[in-house]
Amino acid sequence: MPTRTKMQIGKGDGDFRPTAVPPMDPIAKAVHLRAPVTDGMKEHFAPTDVSPGLEVTRFKPIANLVRSRKFQFFLILPNQIIFWLVIFLGLAGTVVPGLNFGTAITWYVWFALVFVMMVVVGRAWCSMCPFGGFAEWIQRASFWKRTQKALGLGIKLPESLAQYGLLFSVGMFLLLTWIEEFFNIAGPGVPHETSYMVIGIVSSALLFFLVFERRTFCRYFCPLTAVIGTVGTMGSVAGFRTKDRDVCVECKTKDCMRGGENGYGCPWYTWPGSADSNLTCGLCSECYKACPSDNVGLFLQRPLTSLVAPRRRRPDVAWAVAGLLGLVLFQQINATSAYTTLDGALNKVMSFPQYPNPIDYLGIIGAITAALGGIGWLMSRAFARRDLVFTGGGRTFIDKTSKFRAYFVPMMYGLVPVTGADYFARQLPKALKHASRLVPSVAAWFGDGSTKSYLYNYRILSNPHIVLTQLVVVGLGLVGSVWATWRISGRELAPISAKPLAARFAVEAMALATGGAILFLYVIMHAAS
Amino acid sequence: MTFTLDSTMRDLHGAAPKVTILVDRCAGCQECVVRCPTAALSMDTGNWVAKADQSLCVGCRQCVRTCPFSAIEVEGAMMVGPRAETSYRHPTNLLGDAGEIREGILTLEAAVAEASRCLECPDPTCVRGCPVHNDIPGFLHALREEDLDQAQQVLRRTSVLPDICSRVCDQAVQCEGSCSWSLAGGQPVAIGALERFIADNSEIPPAERVSEAAEGLEVAVVGSGPAGIGAAWELVQAGAKVTVYEKQDQPGGLLRWGIPDFTLPSEVAMRPWDQLMEAGVELRCGEEVHPDRLSELLEHNDAVVLAQGAGVPMRPPVPGTDLDGVMDATQFLTRSYAALERHQGMDELRVAAGSKVRPPKVLVLGGGNTAMDVARSARRLGASAMCVDWMDRRFAPVRPDELTEAEAEGVVVKFSTTLAALEGEQGRVAYAKLSHTRQESAKEKPEVIEGSIETEPVDLVVMAMGYRNDPEFSPVLPGTPIRKEVKPLPDRQWTASGLLANPAPDFARHMPVGKLALGRDGALSKAALPFGDRCWAAGDALVGPSTVVEAMAQGRRAGHAIIARHPQRPARTAEPQPPSSTRRVLIAYESRSGNTKAVAGRLQEALNPISAEVTCLPLNRVGAAELAEADLLVLGTWVEGFVVARVGPAKATKAWLAQLPRMAGVEVALFCTYGVDPKGTLAAMRKPLEAKGARVVAEAAFGRRDVEITLAELLGRLVRQPGTGGVKVARRS
Repeated sequence: MPTRTKMQIGKGDGDFRPTAVPPMDPIAKAVHLRAPVTDGMKEHFAPTDVSPGLEVTRFKPIANLVRSRKFQFFLILPNQIIFWLVIFLGLAGTVVPGLNFGTAITWYVWFALVFVMMVVVGRAWCSMCPFGGFAEWIQRASFWKRTQKALGLGIKLPESLAQYGLLFSVGMFLLLTWIEEFFNIAGPGVPHETSYMVIGIVSSALLFFLVFERRTFCRYFCPLTAVIGTVGTMGSVAGFRTKDRDVCVECKTKDCMRGGENGYGCPWYTWPGSADSNLTCGLCSECYKACPSDNVGLFLQRPLTSLVAPRRRRPDVAWAVAGLLGLVLFQQINATSAYTTLDGALNKVMSFPQYPNPIDYLGIIGAITAALGGIGWLMSRAFARRDLVFTGGGRTFIDKTSKFRAYFVPMMYGLVPVTGADYFARQLPKALKHASRLVPSVAAWFGDGSTKSYLYNYRILSNPHIVLTQLVVVGLGLVGSVWATWRISGRELAPISAKPLAARFAVEAMALATGGAILFLYVIMHAAS
Repeated sequence: MTFTLDSTMRDLHGAAPKVTILVDRCAGCQECVVRCPTAALSMDTGNWVAKADQSLCVGCRQCVRTCPFSAIEVEGAMMVGPRAETSYRHPTNLLGDAGEIREGILTLEAAVAEASRCLECPDPTCVRGCPVHNDIPGFLHALREEDLDQAQQVLRRTSVLPDICSRVCDQAVQCEGSCSWSLAGGQPVAIGALERFIADNSEIPPAERVSEAAEGLEVAVVGSGPAGIGAAWELVQAGAKVTVYEKQDQPGGLLRWGIPDFTLPSEVAMRPWDQLMEAGVELRCGEEVHPDRLSELLEHNDAVVLAQGAGVPMRPPVPGTDLDGVMDATQFLTRSYAALERHQGMDELRVAAGSKVRPPKVLVLGGGNTAMDVARSARRLGASAMCVDWMDRRFAPVRPDELTEAEAEGVVVKFSTTLAALEGEQGRVAYAKLSHTRQESAKEKPEVIEGSIETEPVDLVVMAMGYRNDPEFSPVLPGTPIRKEVKPLPDRQWTASGLLANPAPDFARHMPVGKLALGRDGALSKAALPFGDRCWAAGDALVGPSTVVEAMAQGRRAGHAIIARHPQRPARTAEPQPPSSTRRVLIAYESRSGNTKAVAGRLQEALNPISAEVTCLPLNRVGAAELAEADLLVLGTWVEGFVVARVGPAKATKAWLAQLPRMAGVEVALFCTYGVDPKGTLAAMRKPLEAKGARVVAEAAFGRRDVEITLAELLGRLVRQPGTGGVKVARRS
C-alpha cells in the first residue's frame, strides 16, 4: 500500500486563494466517490470467511511458486502433452481399447482422478485443464507472459443466456454422456472415437475462447464445469480469497478483476473480495498475481464449507444438482433388466438403431429432475410459514425468489455429497479393475504391450470388493449429505417454516431416501460387472 | 453553428432506461455503486450483488463503463434535456470584419439551465479529459448556484487562461468528449461555452503573489506563448523574479499571431500579459534566444524554462514552392492580422491580384485548423480561398465546427486532394496542379490516384500543413518532441473511471478520447522533469505542435517543479543548502518475498521525522509524476540470480531502469537485499541512473544478518545537516 506520511502543501476545499503550489493531482480533488456499502458485509461473509491460519501462501516457497507466472503453465503442460498423445494415439495407435494409451488413461485413470480432485480440492482440474489451458494460450497469445492484447472477439455472454449459470454445462454434459453411451466411447470402445471426442472438446473450447471474453467457456459451457463446480464445493480448498475485505472494498483499481501489471483480471468472473465459496474459483492464481496490495491468499477450509456456509444460494446450482443426480441415476437404472426392455421396445417403435434411446434417456433424467422439483414444491406447500413474503429478487432466472425456491434450492445443496459420491462410485469399477493397464498401454508404443501381459489382466479388487467399495463411498456421501442437509435446513429452512423441526426432518428423509435408492441400485445392478 | 438536436430529442421521447444487472456475474465489488451519479445503484446485501432503482437511473451508463466484469446492461433513453444552443454572429459583410464569431451562451438563465445538465459524476471523466484537469463539476455546481465568482475561483485552481481556453479548446476531444453523456452517445454538457460564460462574466483575479515558496529564485522563460505564460504565472505568484524573452515585438506567441481575432480577440489574448506585467514579470520583446545562449541564461538565472514553441513550418515536397507568391501560414497570419487590425488591405494580396479584375485567388495547402484560419482571414481581406488536404473528409484533423464556419464564409475546402506541382509565370506562382487521393481508414496514408491531375489558377499559395520543432534545440532538449503514448496497461485509476472503455466514437472524430487524454496526461507529468540540472521545457517545445491548454498546463507544471526543487545557479552555491527537513523523499522498492519491502518500510519510518514528506511505493507504481515530486529517490530491489551465477537486480527493476525518463538533478540512494552475495547489483543500478543525469549519493546492500547496522550506515549518509553542503558520495565495499 502506498503511504503518504505528510499532507501536501495546499489549502482546503472551501478556502479559495490560488495556491502558488497547485495540488499536483487536481483529479484527486475533483473525484468524490460515494462511500461503498459496508453495512451487513461482515455478517454476510462471516460464515464463509477463511481463517488466516489456513492460508497456504503464508509459506514463502508456496507464495513464490504461486506468484510465478509460469506456475499455471507448468500445471497445464503435462496434461497438454498427455491429451495430444491421447488424440494422436487414439487415431494412430492400436485398436485394442484396453491397450491403447489414449483410451486407457482417459477412461481407467483420468476420469476417476478428476473426481478425487473435485472432492478433495474443488476446481483443481480446472487449474491444469489442457482444453481451457490450450485455448487460453491462444486467446492470450502467450504461454505465461502477461500480455495486454487478446485474440478473438472478446464478446461478453449476454444476460439472456448468462442468467442460467451452470445449466448450459449440464446440458452439454447430458449431450456428451449420451454420445459417449451411444458410441460406447468410455467403455472404452474404439480408441479413435475417444480421439474425436477430445478433438471436439478442444475445438469447441477454442471456438468459445475466440468468440467470448475470458473463460466464458469454462464458467458456462464446459461439459464438466457443473459437475466440478457443484461436487467441488465439498473440497477443502477455499480458493483465492481476500485477506482483509476492507482493503478490497476500498481498493480503487480492482486489478484482480480488471487485470494488473502481473496478473490478468479473473478469467472466471470471481472477485476474491466477495468469494463465499470455491464454486467459481478456477485456482488459476491470476488475482494473487495481480493484487497491488498483496491482499489475496490461497486458503484451505474444512470439507463441505463451500457447500454449507454460503449465504447466497444459487438456483442454477440447485437445478444442476437435480439434473446431474438424474443422469447418474439413469446410468444406474440402465443396468437393470427393466430398462433394457423399455429401451428395446422404444427403439423398435421409433426405428432407433440402438441403446440409448434419446426419449427414454431424457425422459428418465427429466422425470427424476422433475420429481426432485416436485418434492421441493410439496415441502414448500407443507412447511412454509403463512406470513412468508418475498420482497427482494429480480426477474431473471438467477435472482427470482419464491416459496418453492426457498425450499428446493437449499434442499438440493444438501444432496451434493451423495450425488458426488455416486459419480465417483460409478467410475470405480473401471479404475479398480483396469488402472494397471496403463503400463502395458505405454509399452504398446514400443510394440511391447500385450493383452496377455500380467498387468493387463491384473485386478486391483475383485468384483464383490468393488461393489462393497462403491457402497462405502456412497455411504460416506450419504453421511455428508445428511450432515449438510441438517446444517443447511437448520439455518435456512427452520426460520421460514411453520414447523421448523418437521421441515428439517422431512428434507433429511428426502436425502436419506435418495441415498437409499442409490445404494439399492448398486446392489441390484451388479455394478462391477 | 447549430447543434443537431436529433439524438437528444429522440432520447427525450424514447423509453426510460432499463438497467439489468447480470446477477450471475456481479461480484458485488461496488465499482458501479460508488460511481453512479444518481445513486440509482445500491447493494442487495442478502446476495451481495448490486441492485438498481430504475426510477433514479438517467441512462448515463457510467456503471456499464466501470463494471470490471461487464455485468451491467443499460438500455433505453438518456434522461437529459437538449443541449443549449450557443450563439453565433454571422457578419453580413465579411470584408474587413475582425469581430469574434462565436458568442457562446448569452444569459445567466441559459447558462444555469445548461449547467443543470451536469450529473456531477462522483468520478468525473470530464476532469480526466480536460488537459489541465479543471474541476468541471465543481465550477458547474457554483454556476448552478449563480455564484460566478466561486465558479471562477474553482477554475483558477487549475487554469490561468479560462477565457482563452474556453474560446480555443477543441472540447469535443477533451472535456466534452469525456462527458458521461458523450461517452454514452448523447449530447455532452456545453462545458466550453459555460467556462467562457464564467470567464467573461466574472473578474479574473490578478497574478498577485500568494506565497514565498520561490522567494529569491531568478528564472528565465524563453517564449511568451501559453507555455511561457503558465510558467511565468506560477513562478511570479510564488515570489520568483521572472524574465521572459520573446522574439516578436509583442508578447503572446501563438495566442497573438497564430489565432485570428474572429476566434480569439486580441484584448482577450493580451489579458494574461497585462496581468503578468502588472505582477512584475520582466518582458524582453524582440530578443530571440538561440540554443547557444542557454548557458549564458543559466549562468545568470537559477532555472530556465524553454517554451519557444514549435514554429518550423512543414513544406510540401513538390516543385514550385520557391516561386514568388508562396508563403508560410505564420507569415500570412501575422500580416493579415496587422492588415485587419489597421483596417487596411494586405500588400501580398494586392500584389497577387495584380491587374486582374476578379478577387485574388488564395490556395491554402492543408485542411487543418491553421489552414481554416488562413482561408478565413483571406476571405476577410477580400480574396477567394480554397483549402486542399490529402486526407479524406471523414478523417481530417480539422474541428468540425471550424470547418462548418469556414465553408459558411465561402471557403472552398477540397479533401482527398493534394498538390502535385506549382507552376509560375515570370517567376510568380500562377497555377496549381492538383491530384486526387483515396483513403479508406483513418490509420492508412492517403494514396494518390494516378492521372487525376487538374489545374487551378492561383494568385497566392499559403502553406499551412503543420509545424515541427526547431532542430537547433534538439541538443539541449534531447528526446523532444516527447510522444504522447499510452502504455499497454494504462493507469489503473483511469481505467477504473471508465473513460478508457470508450472506443473511438465519431463524435470525437474516430479517436478514443480516453486514450488521447491519458497520453496528454503522461506528457504533462513529464513537463516536471528537468533537462540538465536547471533547465525545463514546456508546451510545443516539449511535445511538438499541440494545444494552448496543454502548453499552459505544462508551463505551470514546470514552474511548479522549479518552485519545489528550488535549483540554484553555481554562483550562489556558497549559500547554505536547505536542511534535509525540506526534502521530499520517494522510496521505491521492488520486493518479492517482502524483505525489500520491509527495509523500505524501515527507511520510511526513519526518514519521516527529518523530511518534508516520505512516500513509499512499489516500483511498478512509480512513473514520471512520482519522480517529479521527489528530491531524493531511494531505490531498493531484491537480488535475482542463482547463488553466485547471473546475479543482479531483479528483472522488473532492470526493466524499470531501462525505461527511466530524465533524472537530472535528482539525488538517488540505492539499496538491495540479498541472500548470498549481491555482487554487482548496485553498480548495475547505478549506471543507468547516472546515464540519465541522476546523482547517486549513497548505496547499501542489506544481507540477512546485518540489517540494523546497514540501515544505520545508510541513514547516516542520507541525513543532511544545514550548512554541510550536501552529502558525501559513499559506497559500501
